[in-house]
Amino acid sequence: MPILVPEPHDEICFREDGKRLDGRAVDELRPFSCEVGVIKNAQGSALVRHGGNLIYAAIYGPREVHPRHLARPDKGILRVYYRMATFSVHERKSPAPNRRENEISKVIREALEPVLFLEAYPDSQIEIYIEVIAADGGTRCASTTAASLALADAGIPMKSMVVGVAAGKAQGRVLLDLGDKEDKVGQADIPCVVVMKDKSISLLQFDGEMSLEEMKTGFEYVLKGAEIIYQKQLEALREKYNKITREAEIEDSAVGNLPQNEQKSINESQNAQDSLQNTSQIDEQMKVQNEKQEINNDHKAEPSPLMENSSAINESQKEVEKGEVEEKSKDEKSSEENIIKSSEQSANSTDDSPKQGENQSSQEEQQLNTENDSPSGDDQE
Amino acid sequence: MMDINEVVSNLEKNYILKLLKQGKRIDGRGLFEYRDVKIKTGFIPKAEGSADVFLGDTRVMCGVKYDIGTPFSDNPDKGVCTVMSEYLPIASPMFEPGRPDEVAIQLARVVDRGIRHTNCIDYKKLCIKEGEYVYILFVDCYMMDYFGNLTDASAIAAIAALLNTNLPGAKLNEEGVPEWDGTYSPLTIYEIPLSISFGKVGNVIFVDPNLSEEMVLDGSIAFAVDEKKQVTSIQKYGNATWSVEEILDTSKKAIEIADELRAKLNLRQHVPQPK
Repeated sequence: MPILVPEPHDEICFREDGKRLDGRAVDELRPFSCEVGVIKNAQGSALVRHGGNLIYAAIYGPREVHPRHLARPDKGILRVYYRMATFSVHERKSPAPNRRENEISKVIREALEPVLFLEAYPDSQIEIYIEVIAADGGTRCASTTAASLALADAGIPMKSMVVGVAAGKAQGRVLLDLGDKEDKVGQADIPCVVVMKDKSISLLQFDGEMSLEEMKTGFEYVLKGAEIIYQKQLEALREKYNKITREAEIEDSAVGNLPQNEQKSINESQNAQDSLQNTSQIDEQMKVQNEKQEINNDHKAEPSPLMENSSAINESQKEVEKGEVEEKSKDEKSSEENIIKSSEQSANSTDDSPKQGENQSSQEEQQLNTENDSPSGDDQE
Repeated sequence: MMDINEVVSNLEKNYILKLLKQGKRIDGRGLFEYRDVKIKTGFIPKAEGSADVFLGDTRVMCGVKYDIGTPFSDNPDKGVCTVMSEYLPIASPMFEPGRPDEVAIQLARVVDRGIRHTNCIDYKKLCIKEGEYVYILFVDCYMMDYFGNLTDASAIAAIAALLNTNLPGAKLNEEGVPEWDGTYSPLTIYEIPLSISFGKVGNVIFVDPNLSEEMVLDGSIAFAVDEKKQVTSIQKYGNATWSVEEILDTSKKAIEIADELRAKLNLRQHVPQPK
């Protein structure tokens, strides 16, 4: 018995104004966002939202191989489990893994193996569990993007990040990043995974009808789309480490025995500071840390994180000295709360402010400069 | 599943036990203090209903899908609702991929009974044609992150997803076959059952065990409690034995805690608008 509400199966993939049904241009990606560290138990994890796809990936390992006979004495093994939730698709999927899921697990594994140093883990396994919570076309690509992020989040050395994105063809036009309907009713589909370091393709499948000329256009779109997603991957990884750095700085400053703090008191040439003042300064320091990007623009000659910190602290001191801010908290605990609140506020304000948009290009430059310093585990050799 | 003793050290184990005997807990809660619950619903577009529940750090996602099938012969005018659970290997280094094992099946059945025996869903409204066509609801609970007490988190996720469900309406066409009538409407849900689980170590009983407590406890007991302050289902698991007084006292405690939790969660806010 079929379910009551059928899926649309007409062939129309374009609106009257020539744009795609969701309003995209032919070479435009769907909305993409990602996050790492979303599953606390896992060594590394990632959440990818790509169009209507909602995909979690988690890494366990390197750890002992089970069952033992699969272990190899010369290199580690990578095991990928791609699974779709029963409620991720229009018609309920059976919970048992099917042939499609097994095949996709294999091609994703082979897309990731070339960028890992498996020979460094003899007798061990790295497991990647991918769970598609909501599916909207192009899940194998989005899953690989998520798996790559989760591996980097787990701190597993990689030669490069990989990004999955598909090209295809519907109603005679070559398209980037097929949506669910374009995927189902279109004429062709080329899911690709791009190794970002050398722009080589590590996952490739193709179904449908397409001339070599059209395929070339498709690959051009894929490389262009992959670059955009890659930048978002880096941003997500950087954001996690920024967050850890911020938290560590709060803790360290609260303890009050950071080298930075010593430096600060020397610079200030102030005598003993009472704890109240100290905490309010931390408060300020946090605010400034959150506006780091902006400060970075003022201090472009100082790309290293350490220098950024010290410049941020100098900024905070100046502000405190000027008496611009009079927020003082009565005890350590409440001041910590304030720090969190104020950091949230300032984070929001920087997010929303139009100023950030103006600075964006210079921020990107900054990001490229600091790329090698990023502790995210990508691009390690 | 991996042997749980591998995960928690003896040192931690003894510390947890020592604390519990003093009426304290490793995460600073009181013995009958429940962890914070956060719920998000309606985030899976292709599911008829969905819920993402955090119980502390424990996380369970639940999606509701439907099918049209034939009713059971002893209930020809009633629809069917089945709860299933998946212990995703994403959720813990202890979980392995594969078919649901007995622990997973037990959890699904405990949640299922909590819903079934409270008279929660109006099953008669899920009947399209008596003896021939009924709705079959699939409530799939996915464990996303394991930090103890998956039973209660799954029960909340299941009922939240059911409340969040918008089911396409059916009418019979000329041939007597069901067809979509163009509408969506929420399920009729009379009762909101909640599951309250307790752990037991020696003589100490405490609510909502967290991960490290779950690793050391002797046994657990889960109560499903309805809005009429009745216990509607009990499952005892693990190796602890319970005296009759303990069971009755804990039941009372469960009713109190469930009442408080139900008021706090206000689950009916997740009911969608009919379309």
